[in-house]
Amino acid sequence: MDLYSFIIQNKEVFKLVYALIVILACFLIVLKTHKLFKISLHRGIRYFRNAFFFYGIAFAIRYSFSFFLSFDQSFSEYSFFLNILFGYFLIMAGFVLLYSLLWRKIDSGKKEFSSLMNSKMLIFYLLALIIVVLDYLWGGYYFMFFSQILVFIFATIISYSNYRKNKGKVYFPQFYFIAMVLSLFAWALNALAGLYFHWNQIVMINIYLFNMVFFLLFLYGVVRATRI
Amino acid sequence: MAKKRERLEVIRDILKSIRENRKIKPTRLLYASNLSPQMFKDYVDELLNKKFVKLESDSKGKKTFSILEKGNEFLEEYKTIENFVENFGL
Repeated sequence: MDLYSFIIQNKEVFKLVYALIVILACFLIVLKTHKLFKISLHRGIRYFRNAFFFYGIAFAIRYSFSFFLSFDQSFSEYSFFLNILFGYFLIMAGFVLLYSLLWRKIDSGKKEFSSLMNSKMLIFYLLALIIVVLDYLWGGYYFMFFSQILVFIFATIISYSNYRKNKGKVYFPQFYFIAMVLSLFAWALNALAGLYFHWNQIVMINIYLFNMVFFLLFLYGVVRATRI
Repeated sequence: MAKKRERLEVIRDILKSIRENRKIKPTRLLYASNLSPQMFKDYVDELLNKKFVKLESDSKGKKTFSILEKGNEFLEEYKTIENFVENFGL
């Protein structure tokens, strides 16, 4: 039996393990970067923290729902609502992660009381809402996929530029660039899985693997950079 | 021409000046910070609001800055913060 067949046969267990790894990684990243933010009050760190906060919420919603559904099928009536919430927080996470790389060029310098409720975040909230509503009306996820593909194309370009600028000086930009490329592949595969591969399980397993590496790379980077 | 300092560097320099002097008068800190009066005021207001430093008056009304625990924590973790920001391109 090959690895993919083994995973498919035990998919509920692997989904749970995948969810736990991602949620734990997000939790640890938020915890460590929050400590660093409290000391430094650095806005980029704040946005970076918020991105993984949104990722954590998204995966917690999605997989706690799947967990409860496996015990009680009556939860399925909430599935469309929870899928919308999952998509919404996933989209927000992508936007905020990109913004953490761009804020210096965009932020006005005016101090904002809240990093979750300010003018830029309101634009992201609105955009994310429009995307999930369009997906709901069209009965798919393609607006989410294409928005995130765009986000990660920009993030890949910026992270590559940071890598070239800091080559030899600091260690993580190369991993950051790899993480962005992986995420871009994952989103592109997601779109292809829906459009052409009829959600083929082997393709989906590869997407989960890319995602897991993405979160573990960031966790590695945060743990190594902070050691607090 | 000297390279423009990042916000974290400016905060580090201000806190270092205060810590090295234990108590420092505002005018002396302004000169040590190498900032314009308006920028100095913005930074100091932020440090006061976030309780990195405190401003005290003595019985003669003379004001001095001294560093608080959070300010000390910042200085100790400065390298970590700088390292994090550089590694993640933030």
